[in-house]
Amino acid sequence: MSDAPDQQPTFEQTLARLDEVVARLESGDVGLEEAVRLFEQGQALVATCRERLARAQQRIEELTGQGAPPEGRADEAPF
Amino acid sequence: MKTVGARQVWAVQEITAAVGRRLEGIPSVWIEAEIQNLRKRGGQVYFTLRDTHQIDGSMRTALFERLAHRPTDGSLVYAYGRVEFWAERAHVSMRIERMEPAGEGVMLAQIEATKDRLAAEGLMSDARKRPLPLVPRRIGLITSAVGAARNDVINNLWSRFPADVVLADVPVQGAAAPQAIVRALGLLNDIPEIDVIIVARGGGPLEDLMAFNDERVCRAVAASRVPVVSAVGHEKDVTVCDLVADRRVSTPTGAAEAVVPDKTVLDAQLADAARGLVRGLVRVRESNAALLANRTLGLVAGLRAADDRATARVATAESRLIPAVRRVADAAALSVPIARERLERATTERYAAVAQRVAANAVLLDVLSPSRTVTRGYAIVRDPSTRRPIVSVGDMPTGADLELEVRDGRADVQVKETHS
Repeated sequence: MSDAPDQQPTFEQTLARLDEVVARLESGDVGLEEAVRLFEQGQALVATCRERLARAQQRIEELTGQGAPPEGRADEAPF
Repeated sequence: MKTVGARQVWAVQEITAAVGRRLEGIPSVWIEAEIQNLRKRGGQVYFTLRDTHQIDGSMRTALFERLAHRPTDGSLVYAYGRVEFWAERAHVSMRIERMEPAGEGVMLAQIEATKDRLAAEGLMSDARKRPLPLVPRRIGLITSAVGAARNDVINNLWSRFPADVVLADVPVQGAAAPQAIVRALGLLNDIPEIDVIIVARGGGPLEDLMAFNDERVCRAVAASRVPVVSAVGHEKDVTVCDLVADRRVSTPTGAAEAVVPDKTVLDAQLADAARGLVRGLVRVRESNAALLANRTLGLVAGLRAADDRATARVATAESRLIPAVRRVADAAALSVPIARERLERATTERYAAVAQRVAANAVLLDVLSPSRTVTRGYAIVRDPSTRRPIVSVGDMPTGADLELEVRDGRADVQVKETHS
């Protein structure tokens, strides 16, 4: 999705933020405008989480080891 | 030794002494044996050295206590010592001076040494252990592509979550294993999106697990940028890799549980959160609506109260006004005839006075009237242009035209001459 995936919040950060938003909203202790803002934010977070889950693919890929310089040892185990 | 009849007869001590002499030539040696029946008595430690045969052994307690790896019953050791013969009981034993672990013992000793070194560097500290991501984008798996652990781990992962796995196939035992594992750790650390690495191997005898006690492997695990889960051996087989890894698990199921969430649970959690959002918003809206309703009610009530107060005041004012107005009106009504009467009276009186004066003046006027004077033989001289009476000779220059009015007519005259 992004070129800098490490800059994105992690799934658990997103989920934690979502929990916060839900808790905040469910406390009922917010004004209507704030509530609408939290609701929209929460929806976006849910969407982000779902999108992350939807992107998960059940697949297996074998590391060939190419690109890593071998250490010149004949007995090195290939993988 | 004595001769009795045809026999030569030995004393027991001659035999034991002979045996003793025969044993004296055996030098100190290393032997490999299992320790059994270890016990302390006095200044000595006694034990049995055993393989398929056995021999008693002893060691000075002071020496035994100083051993780096003190054996216990069942320990396999290399022991260095000499054969000792106790003639009185013809008892052969080993007098041990040095003792080292052997077989697994050697490996265990190595493991202990590695563990001590890494622990001294703080590499096993709990503070170094990183939390594992809840949902890793990709999972690095280091194991043998042909081992049972591979499928066990992957199947367990996938039963919970559709994970994306990058497999580094390595030998998990033998001389080549440590280097291959170290290299795999390096490679997986360089692959983007790998958020966690599992190092997996099934259970086995200690020597088969030794790659995971290898110091290089353990240091590579500790140095990994990505958190590492050690899934090596069974519950009882604790490797050094387990101790330096961010998480240790003892089964493939445990590995899956550590590394991926249960997707059904997570989906439910998200659905719950989404419902919570709606619930929260509805609640806030309702509470706001209630507040608004309260305020509206308050407003209406306030208005009504104000209205009621105003109405009451109007009513009060009205109730006070009407009598007041009535009083005024009554007073007015009462005063009108009086006024009229007074007016009429005043008018009448005034009129009478005026009438009287008019009558008086009429008499006087009649007496003073020029016409009455003219009647008596006087004439009035007027300037014909202004018709003003002329009373001075100065106003009658010679030759002036004048009008002369008498009782029954007028005459136009001219001034011939004036005298004064």
